[in-house]
Amino acid sequence: MALQKLARVEEIPPGRTKFFRLGSKTVVLANRAGQMYALQGICPHRNNPLEGAILWDHLLDCPWHHFQYDVRTGENHFPRNVYPADLPRLQEQVRPLKTYRVEVKEGDVWVDLE
Amino acid sequence: MGKVARQVVEQAGIEVNVLLDKLVRAAGAEFTTFYYYTILRVNAIGFDGEGLKEIIEDARIEDRNHFEALTPRIYELGGALPRDIRGFADVAGCPDAYLPSNPRDMKAMLNVLVEAERCAVRTYTEICNMTFGKDHRTYDLALAILHEEVEHEAWFSEYLTEGPSGHFRRGTPGTSPYVRRFMSADIG
Ligand code: FES
Ligand SMILES: [Fe+2]
Ligand SMILES: [Fe+2]
Repeated sequence: MALQKLARVEEIPPGRTKFFRLGSKTVVLANRAGQMYALQGICPHRNNPLEGAILWDHLLDCPWHHFQYDVRTGENHFPRNVYPADLPRLQEQVRPLKTYRVEVKEGDVWVDLE
Repeated sequence: MGKVARQVVEQAGIEVNVLLDKLVRAAGAEFTTFYYYTILRVNAIGFDGEGLKEIIEDARIEDRNHFEALTPRIYELGGALPRDIRGFADVAGCPDAYLPSNPRDMKAMLNVLVEAERCAVRTYTEICNMTFGKDHRTYDLALAILHEEVEHEAWFSEYLTEGPSGHFRRGTPGTSPYVRRFMSADIG
């Protein structure tokens, strides 16, 4: 449990996201209506960075092919909801994003990257 | 490429290569969707399917029209379509609209269709937001496409009984009432 200070809350206003590179790790912070979420910064679809990802309500939209992830759980929402189960190779593309624990203290955003 | 056409966009503060990447991805999504919608339309049979068939056809032809309308703008700005169609499919900005495991499940097919249109609505909203007040021609084009994508979403959503679309139907399949004027080579 090693919390790391990542940003000031003002840097990520409600409805916005911000991408961070920390050595070999990447994180995307998403502010959904004042609640801050931290998720792995690389989209498991084609391993592209979630830099510039757009937040539509609770869904984080990857800028590359518009896959969508639920910021609360990291689960893929779209296209998992429409990909046919009989094509198993597609299931690999819709793996979830890892989620990290976040704490906001005195306007600083701390993330546990373990 | 239009030298000044590109310069004015650059000078307005748009990173033209970023915009071009978005336009190529959007064109890729239109092209792949045209392909997948062909398969969906073919499989829209039976009591439920026959009613859906015509709507899929409208959306399918209009998506092809979107591809046609985007392509000249890509080249005007100094971009190009990928030389290899496999690469084009890979960069397509929306996921593939696969035929459901049970092709007779019209509800599953409708979900595929409505989600594909929603992806398109988000795509063109993003391009409109990026170009608004800066790149007038791309904005005008993306907005025209957006009008049609919003209608497509509404048709499928209506079919899922999520609520009325308020539209009736196209006179002939895939008329593209908004995008037509950008297809200057097709229409005399
Ligand atoms: S890399 Fe994120 S959707 Fe493809
Ligand atoms: Fe389209
Ligand atoms: Fe469409």
